[in-house]
Amino acid sequence: MKLGRWFILLAVVLWLSWDSFFIVDETELAIVTQMGDFRRRVMRPGIQYKVPVLQQVDKLENRILVSDTPPAEFLTLDKKRLVADPITWWKIKDPWLFLQKLSDETRARSRIDDIVNSELRREFASHDFGNIIGNARSPLMEQVTLNTRKQTDDFGILLVDIRIRRADLPPEVQDSVFQRMRAERDRVAKKYRSEGEEEAAKIRADTDKEKTILLAEAYQQSQKIRGEGDAQSTAIYAAAYGKDAEFYGFIRSLETYEKSLGSDSTLVLSTGDGLFRYFVESSKKP
Amino acid sequence: MRSQFGDKQGPDIGDVVARVGEMSRNVTGRFGSGLALVILLILLWSGAYKVGPGEIGVVRTFGRETTKMGPGLRFRIPLVQRVDKVNVEQIRSISVGFRDKQPVIDEAQMITGDANILEVQMIVQYRIIDPTRYLFRLRDPDETLRASAEVALRGVVGRTGIDDVITTGRERIQDETREWLQQLVDNYESGIRVTGVKLQSIDAPDAVRDAFHEVVRAREEKEKLINQAMGYNADLIPRARGEVRKIVREAEGYREQRVLEAKGDSEKFDATYAEYRKAERVTRQRLYLETMERVLGRTPHKVLVDERLSKTALPVLPLGMPGAPASGAKP
Repeated sequence: MKLGRWFILLAVVLWLSWDSFFIVDETELAIVTQMGDFRRRVMRPGIQYKVPVLQQVDKLENRILVSDTPPAEFLTLDKKRLVADPITWWKIKDPWLFLQKLSDETRARSRIDDIVNSELRREFASHDFGNIIGNARSPLMEQVTLNTRKQTDDFGILLVDIRIRRADLPPEVQDSVFQRMRAERDRVAKKYRSEGEEEAAKIRADTDKEKTILLAEAYQQSQKIRGEGDAQSTAIYAAAYGKDAEFYGFIRSLETYEKSLGSDSTLVLSTGDGLFRYFVESSKKP
Repeated sequence: MRSQFGDKQGPDIGDVVARVGEMSRNVTGRFGSGLALVILLILLWSGAYKVGPGEIGVVRTFGRETTKMGPGLRFRIPLVQRVDKVNVEQIRSISVGFRDKQPVIDEAQMITGDANILEVQMIVQYRIIDPTRYLFRLRDPDETLRASAEVALRGVVGRTGIDDVITTGRERIQDETREWLQQLVDNYESGIRVTGVKLQSIDAPDAVRDAFHEVVRAREEKEKLINQAMGYNADLIPRARGEVRKIVREAEGYREQRVLEAKGDSEKFDATYAEYRKAERVTRQRLYLETMERVLGRTPHKVLVDERLSKTALPVLPLGMPGAPASGAKP
């Protein structure tokens, strides 16, 4: 019996000392309450002391959390419809405030979704479709983040960032976009084809022109060269034959006879002079 | 202990009996200390762990990060310390717009800057560079990376025209997406370094794909037409140049020919003339007679008309028939 009492006492002491400490992980925040009253926040990881039995510890997430809000349809300033899928990163900044206002993560998420959607609706309604898709998206989302952050502050939440994961056109609008794209592509294809023909015609025309010019230049050059040849030969002939024009005529005539009279020629010759002078009057002395 | 005991086992049988009696008395104590020893060994064993190559072991003591361990065999205090191992060298990758080569249309489809719709597939390569952040600062770093990759890619494509995206803008889109993605995941304290963003296929949605392919065909056709024209050029111009060369060379040949012939002719003339000057009359006669001899020697049909006859009546000769008059004229 005595031994049993000691055991019970030991167990109680062990339990009390065990209950005096708690461990806060790197990924956690904790708050200590005493009978439902707030005592303190534990914002850093490690081993912590509390009053056993009397004080309770609630642990909360200290990491950045992702909330993927379901896609919703929005109306832009230029009355176009847009399906946007926002995604939100947030973390618990004040665990006590968070616990009081939202109590758990699920409620926090739905709360954040509501605020984000209404802020997006407001911001999208003051921008044109093209800007939301294009260049204005970043500043626009920063504005949404800032506005949302102001509201989530009250819940002990630090809103890190809101982004549009996907922004699509509603299915009915997509069809008209596809039609436009098709027409546009047809136009581009036609443009390419006629550009090709244009380029090809240009190249062929340039080629023909180049060829004609080349040949004409060649003709010009060749005529000049031939002229030079003629001129030089004329000068040479003149220099040689000019010494005795009469003799040149004589020699050249003889050459002509020799070249032009062949075996198929018939000659009718007179005895009047020249060669056959002696044929008739052999005895006569001139 | 047991081996020590075995060594001391002497040959004296009485001594052995005494020791056995002592052992049976102490058996509970021995069993207890043996059990404690085994538990101690198990604790020691469970405290040992191995950090593999490329890994970092992040040690938490009572929940708080106290140290990081490099590769090797390490020890932790059981029950007090926890270790998470993270490979910081391995290049990991995620795909956007497709899984296992199958396209995921919802994820791939996006609007371009000029309000067209494209399907873009991308691979993101990354590495964990900060294990503390990766483990403790963000609950779902992998989901964050995937979502951020979509945000960045859609953002960049959303401000780029469709023609840029499908043709020349590829590099720029990759660079800008990587840069922006890195900013985003840094902002979310993910501990991730994006090492590469690679665009895979960029294609038009099914509904308009044929029109897009038609553009590709048209562009190829354009190239073909231009190439054909270039071929025409490449064929014609060298031929023309060859012809030019031929024409010029021919002309040059002509010139040389004319000059050389003139020189030859004049040299021949000069030589004959020099002889002629020595005895003009005789040379003249000789040249004439020699030529006539050769000319008359070659021509078989000759008609010699007496000068006196020709003054009275012109004889009629059938000049057209070379054979006939020869016989008729000779007598």
